[in-house]
Amino acid sequence: MTDPIVPQPEAAPEAPKGPYVYDYAASPQRQVVMPKTVPLPSRRTYLAEVKAAAEADEAKWQKMLADFETAKTKAEAEGKDAPKPPVRPVPRKDDNDMKTPWPEEAKDADLLLLQACLGAKVEEVFEQAGELTCQVSKDTILEVLLLCRDHADLRYEMLADQTATHYPAATGWDYSVVYHLTSISRRKRLRLRILVPEGFIPDSACAAYPSANWMEREIYDMLGITFANHPDMTRILCPDDWEGHALRKDYPVVGWGQRDIAFREDRGGMIERIALQKAGQLGINLKQPKAE
Amino acid sequence: MFKNEEMEINLGPQHPSTHGVLRVKLRLDGETITHCKPIIGYLHRGVEKICENQTFFQGQVWTDRMDYCSAVANNLGWAEANEKLFGITVPRRAQYIRTMLNEFNRLASHLIWLATHALDIGAMTVFLYAFREREDILDLNEAFCGSRLTTTAFRIGGLREDLPPGFEKMARKFLAKFETCLEEYENLLSENRIWKKRTIGVAKLSAEDAIALGVTGPVLRAAGVPYDIRKAFPYAAYAEMDFEVPTQTAADTYARYLVRMAEMRQSARIVQQCLDGMPEGPVMAKIPKILKPEVNEVYHATEAPKGEIGYYLVGEKGSTNPYRFHVRAPGFINLQCLPKMAEGALIADIVAAIGTLDIVLGEIDR
Repeated sequence: MTDPIVPQPEAAPEAPKGPYVYDYAASPQRQVVMPKTVPLPSRRTYLAEVKAAAEADEAKWQKMLADFETAKTKAEAEGKDAPKPPVRPVPRKDDNDMKTPWPEEAKDADLLLLQACLGAKVEEVFEQAGELTCQVSKDTILEVLLLCRDHADLRYEMLADQTATHYPAATGWDYSVVYHLTSISRRKRLRLRILVPEGFIPDSACAAYPSANWMEREIYDMLGITFANHPDMTRILCPDDWEGHALRKDYPVVGWGQRDIAFREDRGGMIERIALQKAGQLGINLKQPKAE
Repeated sequence: MFKNEEMEINLGPQHPSTHGVLRVKLRLDGETITHCKPIIGYLHRGVEKICENQTFFQGQVWTDRMDYCSAVANNLGWAEANEKLFGITVPRRAQYIRTMLNEFNRLASHLIWLATHALDIGAMTVFLYAFREREDILDLNEAFCGSRLTTTAFRIGGLREDLPPGFEKMARKFLAKFETCLEEYENLLSENRIWKKRTIGVAKLSAEDAIALGVTGPVLRAAGVPYDIRKAFPYAAYAEMDFEVPTQTAADTYARYLVRMAEMRQSARIVQQCLDGMPEGPVMAKIPKILKPEVNEVYHATEAPKGEIGYYLVGEKGSTNPYRFHVRAPGFINLQCLPKMAEGALIADIVAAIGTLDIVLGEIDR
């Protein structure tokens, strides 16, 4: 235990260990803008938003009415013409071929069956844009996958896709991992979703679906989520010594080799000379016109 | 005198039979493969990250460059995933034109598969014949969208332009001769003794293994599973088309050849139906110039020539960029079964196994 009051001598700078630390001070052009919202589709959040919007709308209308009443009494007291009564604003209707798909209540038999089988392990079920989503608790994912595969009324034989998304603005969790299951015999699709915090190691889906092998390696490579009991948890697309995980939202888009040539710092004129030389070969006149 | 130990060799990354930059690490016992590990990532460009930093419209040019042999199929999946995200209804004429171009693209992709697969195995002549017809399809692509390979054919909500004048005539002229061309290829290969020796019983993959490994497309259908997304989850105008899903049960390289040849016939049939029943009307839905979604996530899968191509998009409220853009590339998932196919086989058959999977590394590495 070190005494917090006594200042410790500064340790020699070492190479960053563990998660890669991006040195934005040394390269400000690599700074990223972090997302501020958590765009996780959910019927619960949607209903809360709709309720809040309706309440805000109602409060605005009540304020307009109250303002009208005060203006009316004031006008009557001053002997002026009464002001026009307010009209409740109608939401603008767009004339286009778009119909936004909202999260709807789960009516599909598969989702209801999952809810009945799993009980409290199911966190949320809803349908959106014709797709079924079932969010389960993060510890039970392998059990749920096995149930989906083996249950006589579900029969989801194939894991079509597995991927993850980084939500840095969320509280209590950081990533959503989604599993897209396909039932070939029943012609149905189902999305399972878990929310995992940084450092949590979910069970690998390889025990239920061997096709998860490379997909989970890709998730590890791109987002840094490791999976328990995976046969070969290594990077797949990037080299083994790559630093950082590219699809995290804090990963810079601009690379190291990409920078503006600061001609002002080009004291010797070397870069300018090369540029002019190259431009000359292409027949372009890059020389600045001199004032007479 | 003779050492009795296993030898490790690398196939690729710069090997003509690997169709790009695929490296396969092989361990051999004599001529038999005992261990096989595909190593990928040499063409990784970070398409998903790039698309997350561009608007919804700009993502399309990257889908062209994933599987450059079937750019139109990639465009179609991308456009439909976006339309699902925003809830856009596409006009019927646009659906028909999309379906037609997609089937032409399937022909082109299968032709290039046939050409290169036969070339890998040692049948040089088919290559020249197949590229002759593929050229005509690329000409049709050029007539429609001005580009031959990287088509960027569609827009979110429909098409940018209607069909150019004379396109229908060109397409019909192509269809009229295509059946005889197919017979030409079959004359060269179907009963060819060398071709049969190199393909029958080679690189087998049973239906159970294929489903467990997530393999889709002609490889799955050659194992006897009639799973075609055009039939199972109809999209574009496929619900109105009359076509069959060809299957085989042998689950070997020859069966996959037969499935793809039969698929080309069905594609030509679909194109014929599209041309005959082409409806009139607009080709673009009424949508705003700037698209901003509500919070939503979609996974839309379509049947690309190589299998199921799926796009997973997450929309952020009020943002013009997709929050998450993920591609389920058919080649990426299909390549997983290569060890299953190759282990226990002879080293000469690994070339057939890679060829029969019909992979394009641009899409696997993204």
